[in-house]
Amino acid sequence: MIRHHPEKEMLLEYAAGTLPWAQSLAVKAHLEMCPACQQQHQQLNGIGGTLLDNSDPQPVAGTAFDQLMQRIDRADQDSSPEQDLPNNDARQPRSNNPSTDPALASLPRVVGKLVAKNGPLKWRRVSPALKMTRLKTGQDKYEVAFHRICRGGRTAEHDHRGQEIIMVLHGAFSDADGFYRPGDFLVRNPGEVHRPIATEDQECLCLSVVEAPVSVTGVLGWLVNPFLGFRPG
Amino acid sequence: MAKMVEPLGGIIQFGDRVQPEQRRDDDWSRLLVLVGDKRDRRAFEQLFGHYAPLIKGFHYSRNTQALAPEAADELVQEVMFRVWRKAPSFDPHKASANTWVYTIMRNCRIDLMRRGSRHVTDSEVDVDDIWDESADNQPLINLQQRRNESEIAEGIKTLPADQSHVLHKAYMEGKSHSEIAQELGLPLGTVKSRVRLALKKLQTALKRVE
Repeated sequence: MIRHHPEKEMLLEYAAGTLPWAQSLAVKAHLEMCPACQQQHQQLNGIGGTLLDNSDPQPVAGTAFDQLMQRIDRADQDSSPEQDLPNNDARQPRSNNPSTDPALASLPRVVGKLVAKNGPLKWRRVSPALKMTRLKTGQDKYEVAFHRICRGGRTAEHDHRGQEIIMVLHGAFSDADGFYRPGDFLVRNPGEVHRPIATEDQECLCLSVVEAPVSVTGVLGWLVNPFLGFRPG
Repeated sequence: MAKMVEPLGGIIQFGDRVQPEQRRDDDWSRLLVLVGDKRDRRAFEQLFGHYAPLIKGFHYSRNTQALAPEAADELVQEVMFRVWRKAPSFDPHKASANTWVYTIMRNCRIDLMRRGSRHVTDSEVDVDDIWDESADNQPLINLQQRRNESEIAEGIKTLPADQSHVLHKAYMEGKSHSEIAQELGLPLGTVKSRVRLALKKLQTALKRVE
């Protein structure tokens, strides 16, 4: 039973397409594991459908349809439409992950695809109990990573430079605020110190999405700062 | 190439006893199925005649520079191109035509915005992976979806102005809650609570019919 969900406002930003790319990835992973949020998501899409239906129609050029059909004919000559069905590769069974790592055996498919596309994962030891690996996702505004805590492992108490989203994918962990299982979705804000501890029975794998540092004094400050003010990816 | 048909209106025959609103969306769904199964160009032309002006209208009020009129025309072309391509995966039991077209339009818009962003790097995943609305990904519980949508449509009309305003800004102008807060000079918490209240109202309307 999933007990921790994204806030409704976040689900709405996701359905409206305004939630940043990396955070949306975490929301999508949660939806795949949580039928209740998936149903809410469809209602939120329904609001979009209704607003589209209620829009004031604006005239489109008379040649627009013919132009489109020409483009479709050209594209059809280049490839068969079947090749273009949405997400053919994302629909492959989760086993397309070459790893035999049990923690990665059953991932939401958006995460599975990410793992497959990132190639062999290089785990870095952060502390005796904690390993992490960064994942490339197609944007550089948020740092997306896997964290894994060994059985019964205790991580160091830590703070966050920016807002962090944590999605439990495998195993379970607890901190002073609660106990979290696969599918649980948590948001930690800067200043909220926590110390995750994995359960004794198995190791714990989490997906995390952290806002990259934007302060001028940060290590990446000189890199990041010129981009401030642009829309996140 | 199918020849140009009359502008919409005379094409879809409404049944006498069926409510037009309800019936209309059923008809668009049927046309989408024809496009998906039979690659029916006449059906697609009718869909284009209906949805292309709505897609443009949806973005017409957006006061973002990202979508100049030319960009809106480009978006219409791209959305309808994807509608043609993806129509075989449309399942009328799981989503209405309006909602399905909306999700394709939203994903196109995300791609368009990403093209202009400095934070974009070579992507390992596509927009259709992160916003995957494929029918096989939907729970079966939503056979009532279409009825739900007419409730949502009714519900939106009855929302207080400040609540429907934030919904419009989020969906139609494509603004995040913090951008809306900044623009309206309101605390972020106020925008979020308006969103929450609006959703609560709409969901109460949905619960009543279930």
